[in-house]
Amino acid sequence: MNFKKIWIIARHEYINNLKRPGFIIWTLAVPALAGIGLLIATFFGGQAGDFFERQFSPTTPTVALVDQSGLFSDILPEYEDNFIPYSSRESAEQAVRSQDADLAVVVEADYLETGNVIIISPDGNLNFAAGDEVDDFLAEHLLAGAVSEDIANRVLNPSRPNVVSLGETGETESGGIAGIIFNFILPYFLGILLVITIFTSSGYLLRSVSEEKTSRVIEIVLSSVTAQELLAGKVLGLGALGLTQIAVWLMTAFALSGGMIGLLGVALPMLMRPQLFILSVVYYLLGYLIFAVLMGAAGSLGTSEQESQQLAGVFSFAAAIPMMLAGFIISNPNVTIARVLSWIPLTAPTMMMLRLSMGSVPTIDIIGSIVLSALSVPLIIWAGAKVFRLGLLMYGKRPSVREIWRLLRQA
Amino acid sequence: MPTTMLEVNNLVKRYGDFTAVDHLSFEVHAGEIFGLLGPNGAGKSTTIRMIMDIIKPDEGTVSVLGRTPDQAREHVGYLPEERGLYRDLKVLDVLIYLAELKGTPRDVARQRAMEWLERVELTDWVGSKVKDLSRGMQQKLQFAATLIHDPDLLIFDEPFQGLDPVNVGLLKSLIRDLAAEGKAIALSAHEMSLVEALCDRILLINRGQAVLYGELDAIRREYSPDAVRVRTTADLGQIPGVVSMHRDNGQVTLMLDGTTPQQLLRTLVERDVPVEAFEVALAPLEEIFVRVVKGGSDEL
Repeated sequence: MNFKKIWIIARHEYINNLKRPGFIIWTLAVPALAGIGLLIATFFGGQAGDFFERQFSPTTPTVALVDQSGLFSDILPEYEDNFIPYSSRESAEQAVRSQDADLAVVVEADYLETGNVIIISPDGNLNFAAGDEVDDFLAEHLLAGAVSEDIANRVLNPSRPNVVSLGETGETESGGIAGIIFNFILPYFLGILLVITIFTSSGYLLRSVSEEKTSRVIEIVLSSVTAQELLAGKVLGLGALGLTQIAVWLMTAFALSGGMIGLLGVALPMLMRPQLFILSVVYYLLGYLIFAVLMGAAGSLGTSEQESQQLAGVFSFAAAIPMMLAGFIISNPNVTIARVLSWIPLTAPTMMMLRLSMGSVPTIDIIGSIVLSALSVPLIIWAGAKVFRLGLLMYGKRPSVREIWRLLRQA
Repeated sequence: MPTTMLEVNNLVKRYGDFTAVDHLSFEVHAGEIFGLLGPNGAGKSTTIRMIMDIIKPDEGTVSVLGRTPDQAREHVGYLPEERGLYRDLKVLDVLIYLAELKGTPRDVARQRAMEWLERVELTDWVGSKVKDLSRGMQQKLQFAATLIHDPDLLIFDEPFQGLDPVNVGLLKSLIRDLAAEGKAIALSAHEMSLVEALCDRILLINRGQAVLYGELDAIRREYSPDAVRVRTTADLGQIPGVVSMHRDNGQVTLMLDGTTPQQLLRTLVERDVPVEAFEVALAPLEEIFVRVVKGGSDEL
């Protein structure tokens, strides 16, 4: 291995693929789409905002109350301002119509037995806040005097949830919506980004190999460097290209969100779950190495780029299986199929990156997947480089599986 | 004693049951142009690829400049039969990259690239992409790429195939210049007229085996019939030792038996025959090639 030559090849691949229109478009398309999404969200956000504001309106509604049960004739002082007694349903409806009240509530005579309450709103809708308010009014009046104030308060608010999850280390982590976003959504999003760049980089590798083969420049290249050096240089150069792509995406996300996503996406999860990030990097490297070498081999076997891509499709499909199962695994990251796929080197990196983002994963799966993948990397590189070397020099026809096997044994 | 730049010893390459190269041995010396000849599928390209360390031999050794092929890569220039360059790269970048792969430092590579582009008259295209060049220009760029790292041994696999006549001339003079500079040149070809015009020594292979090896002139003499060609307008009449005479447009081909060309010339001078030209007829390489290759297949 001549490292100077590997470096020359890596630099060549990096610079020339960086300048490709395809790479530039794809790298810019993702932030552009995100930007368009943001614009759409801002545009429709106004309308959506009105809806949410109405639903969760903190302003207490004015209620025209018609009490036919006789249970609510004495209105407690805190409800006096917005619960106004009316003698008949008609007058209460009139109050709603004239906008003196937001709602009319008719408590029927058999309320205690049936719970029947008629609620009349201008548009037939009842928002959550108003519904809660009516419930609270009824409950508080029923409890008043019957039980102590403390019990009454607890019945009205049985629990104040403070969700705490058991972390991988056994330490508790703060929960809530923020916890879900930090621990689940963002790592999941990052995992997908990493998987995408694995595909992009190894796709460029396939293309680069295939171009050198179909243009026949490979003969000259192979008379200057060994196949292993060539493959190593390409893997390094295009791996760096993939990382560049992630960097561009994260930076535009950072810029678009005024620093928010950058902070939330990287800094916070890193602080909160550093082990997740270290593992992600390990799986990223393993995944990239495995796929890059397989793509290199596939690229060397096809007689044209299309043919190579068809061959590589098998590997891409295998790597994409975990992504396809993501929706299913989301509810249970430790379902058997997910665990099995975590142990197969071809699917392990993507599967594990997704699972890690979804929750705690048994340590044995982490160790097993890393060990098996790491062990298979030299084997895949060995076999891949052999196929690569021999495939590059076979023109005219695509070798059959049997021929590839024969090449491997002879090489 | 000539300096041996390339020494191939008992080289064997098998693909399954098929022996592509069968115990081949030859040498190429500094300053000579060596022809590697043979019909299609004879094993020329396989031999060249083993010399270039692109594929490994099953048996035998290759010594390039006294080293193993993988150690000598940077001193060998290779023009493959299957030719191509990075189509999307700029002319200058292609040359610099290929030179760097051969171990030339970047700044030296840039300088040499400019020199070579001038030599093959492509200076105006320095910033163009390879795919925008005409076929002939791409061929010239390919020569430059082969030579940019100043190699001591040059291997050309079917260099004249697909070249336009202008580039055939350019490459011929390039090859002659390189040989004059003391470089060793090995080329495979099947255009026998070009080989006759260029090569000092040849190796003819058929079915992976060497069938002819040595000085081109000596081989031609050895394979030539005892014949002379005489250009004359006079009627030659009966000459002792001449078994047949064939006249074609002022040139007479005489087949000799029991006499030498020297003796015949003396007889003609003695008879005062006006001779415009007199030459010992060397068999054309083409004919030797066909005869040897066919003979080889007859044996089977």
